[in-house]
Amino acid sequence: MRTEYYFRHGAGGNFSHDSLLRSCVAVSNMEERERVSETDRKETASNPELERDADPNVEEEGEDAETLDVCSEHFNPLRALYAPAAPPLPFPNIKCFNNVSDYESFLKGGRGRAKPENVEKKRRKAMKGVADPERIERLKKLMVNNPVAESEEGESSSSSQPRRRRKQKPLRNVLTRMPLCKGSPLGELYRCVQERIRVKVHIRTFKGLRGVCSGFVVAFDKFWNLAMVDVDETYREPLLGEAIYHEKALTVSRLFEKLRLQEDPGAAEVGEKQEKAGEPKETPEDRSDRPAESRGGGRTAEPGQSESAADKRDEGNVSQARRKYGKVHTRHINQLFVRGENVILINPQPL
Amino acid sequence: MEPEAPAPPASAEVVNSIRERTIAENSMVVLLQGLQGEVTTVDLRNECTARGRVLNVDAFMNVRLEDVLYRDRQGRRTQLQDLFITGRNVRYVHIPDHVDIMETVQNQLAKIHRVRNFASEGGGRKEFSKKTK
Repeated sequence: MRTEYYFRHGAGGNFSHDSLLRSCVAVSNMEERERVSETDRKETASNPELERDADPNVEEEGEDAETLDVCSEHFNPLRALYAPAAPPLPFPNIKCFNNVSDYESFLKGGRGRAKPENVEKKRRKAMKGVADPERIERLKKLMVNNPVAESEEGESSSSSQPRRRRKQKPLRNVLTRMPLCKGSPLGELYRCVQERIRVKVHIRTFKGLRGVCSGFVVAFDKFWNLAMVDVDETYREPLLGEAIYHEKALTVSRLFEKLRLQEDPGAAEVGEKQEKAGEPKETPEDRSDRPAESRGGGRTAEPGQSESAADKRDEGNVSQARRKYGKVHTRHINQLFVRGENVILINPQPL
Repeated sequence: MEPEAPAPPASAEVVNSIRERTIAENSMVVLLQGLQGEVTTVDLRNECTARGRVLNVDAFMNVRLEDVLYRDRQGRRTQLQDLFITGRNVRYVHIPDHVDIMETVQNQLAKIHRVRNFASEGGGRKEFSKKTK
């Protein structure tokens, strides 16, 4: 379109454009040089080519457009200042400076200069709440069960190494700690677990023996908490009050003796003799704090004593309690958990 | 008060505290934690028994039970909505017959393991890698 314009006006009106040029008040050196060169071109132009024709024509006819075009070589600032309308700017939102020194200081990186990193930061801050699709894609690739295959390979190759490193660290939990006790009393207990040896666990009351749990240990821990199966518990609830002082301390043998006595009251005398023989049998794994293990001493009146004492106290009690008080009980429990605090000792039963 | 709908069988939640998790992981408390949701009997040190549904067991064996039948030394029965037993006062915990001890322990340990390794490197990938590859 421009060239058309030039050609259209190419024929006539040369003089008028020349005079317009000359009539400019202040002309830059560059402009003068151009004019000079342009006249030279006019003189030397023998074969008018498109470009050659365009050049002088541009100077003469396309002046208005080019001199006012800020991007062009032939921009005439003075002309632009005096032009009736502001020249069209290629960037409408361009930053405007008051003078050249302002522009210089801006270029040097004054306060608030839009460095690339600052621009990026500002943009990210503005977009804070908005979901960034790029980030979403990145996170998707990190998802474990993601069907995205190519990205997973990259991730898994980098993460498999730390995973391998992590697995090398030994796993330590209650089950793995059980076999570690070898060589200690708990190791002996572990042997009972492995070989399914029936054990007798002595259970304590606040003072003394409560009873015996006979069963198989499935699992244990350092506190002697036990998980047992197939448990037969023989126990006696602790006596209250005065009876504690009067009664001889309950031992395992005495416990079973009492049980037998309960079942068969006639076996009293025979039982006593057996007790004496049974006492010295001590368990190898004695971690006991068994109180007052009295060996020997008068036992003749012992069963009778405790029972009578119990009877005396029973007068005020509920009938149900009276029936059970001071008596030895047995029960069977299929699966039992015992808190280690209550364990006196564990006795693997002889094979 | 409206009757509550039956509670879900197992809360199946691991304690949030790392310390408690480690204590539980290395002791038999995990067995009791696996019993959460089951109806069991707890025998106490004071010769009393409490039968109810296990709500929660922590690393110190503190037990919370709901809908409890509490039987004291004399045999008197009391119905209780909610009972908290201090770990030290536990003597026995009856394990229901249908519960497999080893399996319960292993399941509970696996849960703890999963929770522990949830956000660590390797098992869970990081968004921004710390080191250049």
